[in-house]
Amino acid sequence: MNASPARHRSLRLRLLAGSLVWILAAVAITGVLLADLFGQHVRERVDTELHGHLDQLTALFEVAPDGTASLRMPLSDPRLSRPYAGLYWQVDRAGDAPVIGLLRSRSLWDTALAVPADALADGEVHVHETEGPDAHPVRLMERMVRPAEQPEATYRLIVALDIRQIHEPVEEFATLLAVALGVLALGLGAAAVLQVGIGLAPLRHMREALGAVRDGRTRRLEGDYPQEVQPLVEELNTLLAHDEAMVERARTQAGNLAHAVKTPLTILANAARNDDSALARLVDEQVGDARRQVDYHLARARAAAAVQQPGLKTPLRPVIDALVRVMTRLHAARALHIATAGVPDTLACRGDAQDLQEMLGNLLDNACKWAAREVSVRAGRRDGHLAVHIDDDGPGLSEAQRSAVLARGVRADEHTPGSGLGLAIAHDLARAYGGDLCLSASPLGGLRATLLLPAA
Amino acid sequence: MRILVVEDEPTLAGQLADALTDAGYAVDRADNGLDAHFLGDTESFDAVVLDLGLPQMDGLTVLGKWRSAGRTMPVLILTARDDWHQKVAGIDAGADDYLTKPFHMAELLARLRALIRRAGGHASALLSCGPLCLDTRSGQLTDDGRPVQLTSHEYRLLAYFMHHPGKVISRTELTEHLYAQDFDRDSNTIEVFVGRLRKKLPEGMIETVRGLGYRLVAQ
Repeated sequence: MNASPARHRSLRLRLLAGSLVWILAAVAITGVLLADLFGQHVRERVDTELHGHLDQLTALFEVAPDGTASLRMPLSDPRLSRPYAGLYWQVDRAGDAPVIGLLRSRSLWDTALAVPADALADGEVHVHETEGPDAHPVRLMERMVRPAEQPEATYRLIVALDIRQIHEPVEEFATLLAVALGVLALGLGAAAVLQVGIGLAPLRHMREALGAVRDGRTRRLEGDYPQEVQPLVEELNTLLAHDEAMVERARTQAGNLAHAVKTPLTILANAARNDDSALARLVDEQVGDARRQVDYHLARARAAAAVQQPGLKTPLRPVIDALVRVMTRLHAARALHIATAGVPDTLACRGDAQDLQEMLGNLLDNACKWAAREVSVRAGRRDGHLAVHIDDDGPGLSEAQRSAVLARGVRADEHTPGSGLGLAIAHDLARAYGGDLCLSASPLGGLRATLLLPAA
Repeated sequence: MRILVVEDEPTLAGQLADALTDAGYAVDRADNGLDAHFLGDTESFDAVVLDLGLPQMDGLTVLGKWRSAGRTMPVLILTARDDWHQKVAGIDAGADDYLTKPFHMAELLARLRALIRRAGGHASALLSCGPLCLDTRSGQLTDDGRPVQLTSHEYRLLAYFMHHPGKVISRTELTEHLYAQDFDRDSNTIEVFVGRLRKKLPEGMIETVRGLGYRLVAQ
């Protein structure tokens, strides 16, 4: 359940990417539209203003009967009298003897506005953007006037506004708009993250619950889930219960089989032992073999079932204490000392209590069978694994015997009581759990069996 | 020494009873949990061989009931189920030993001997009292090193005395521990055997405690 591989398959990223693309597109389109609208609005206002100035200019413009053009009085806007103030007016004479800049506002200083030559009907108003004084672009509005006093002459009346005066508010607005929309986008993004987080929270809870099952803290997925997830949770719980029931059934059947087979074997063996014929010896020998086979295959069946169950956690200490009680009884005649002080209370293994009992029981029983006086159990953690050392002060095993004893059905010593399969069974079970069983020489002088199991 | 054998498989129960009788024990049999519980609760046994898979009431329940009623006789569980989980359950229910089928009859006898000995507080297979020394493994009695021949009845009687040296033992107790339930219990028989045993032992070792019973003393 690591998040690292295949990030593109993350549900959270998919949802977030979808939301973020949508948010960014919406914000960008809004920004462009608003900026454009505002620009249009500003231009319209400028045009209205220019139109006003042009009307005023038209009203004040007069031509004397001698053909001298003049204004009856200066235009009112103070910008017109300040050089390069951004607002200009100019009167050109058109017609046969054109004069550019016949009359000009003071703000034009010694320059004149160059107007693209175009034909204007009388009273028609044109708007151009062109270069103005100081090499700054201007927006200008022109109108042709044919004064009543001098009907053959036409005059072009022009007012112009530095285009910067249009752009400045538009740019300011754009900046403000960008900041505002940026904040909005961030807010929406945060809301999207929050929403995805809240929406996916049940899945996260489920993952935690599954983790708890895997680590053996619980046996079932616990808690209430939204109706979209609840069916999945219930299916999983059913599956877990089914697993458990299967293992339980397998165990019961294995137990029944053991019972069904071993009682007749006992009767046969006892009957054979009261007799000294070749047949009796054959029966005795075959019964011993059959018993080993039954024991071994039952243990194998148990090992096969063992790993299929998630959600199990077994504390080590109670299992060892229970087994020591058993060993003390079973080996009571020998007055063994079984030291378990080296088993911390906090250790637990990931797995089933019965399987742990099976492994440790076989190992402890073997140690007790061979020990002279001392058996010692110690446990600790070793990189994610639980290591349990079981030492005895018995005769121990040679290197060759140690490897042979873990192989199937080989007995290190035919005279040992019991089937001699204990170590091999513990080995198989430990392997099935992803652990291991290692045999070595014990500091006590006998055999050391080290059981490695996944820690919980 | 009187043993209760609880086993529902008749052939095996018969084999057990034969082997135990041959070894000098008085044997009672039960083939279901209810009878077993009743016998163990009302009669005195020196040890019980208990199968776990029993009809009517399972072996662990029977054992638990005996223990909670204060019955302390040693119990050896005999079962086909050899998981450690079962062994732990058996021992925790109050069993004293655990043997899995198939077993060697010799091992069962050895374990029973050890159980009875430990129940009497004896650590060794050799019981001694004064000049007497009884080897419970071979059934051999020596008096100051000289072997003494005993009949099977005399051996059972002496073994019971040797397991409880110095203790006053009533005739009833002797009857209960030496004979199976279906045996004709005539206390005069006990007196006859005690009389025969006295002749084979050094003078005065078996005292008569008037009105109470007998006592084995180390002189």
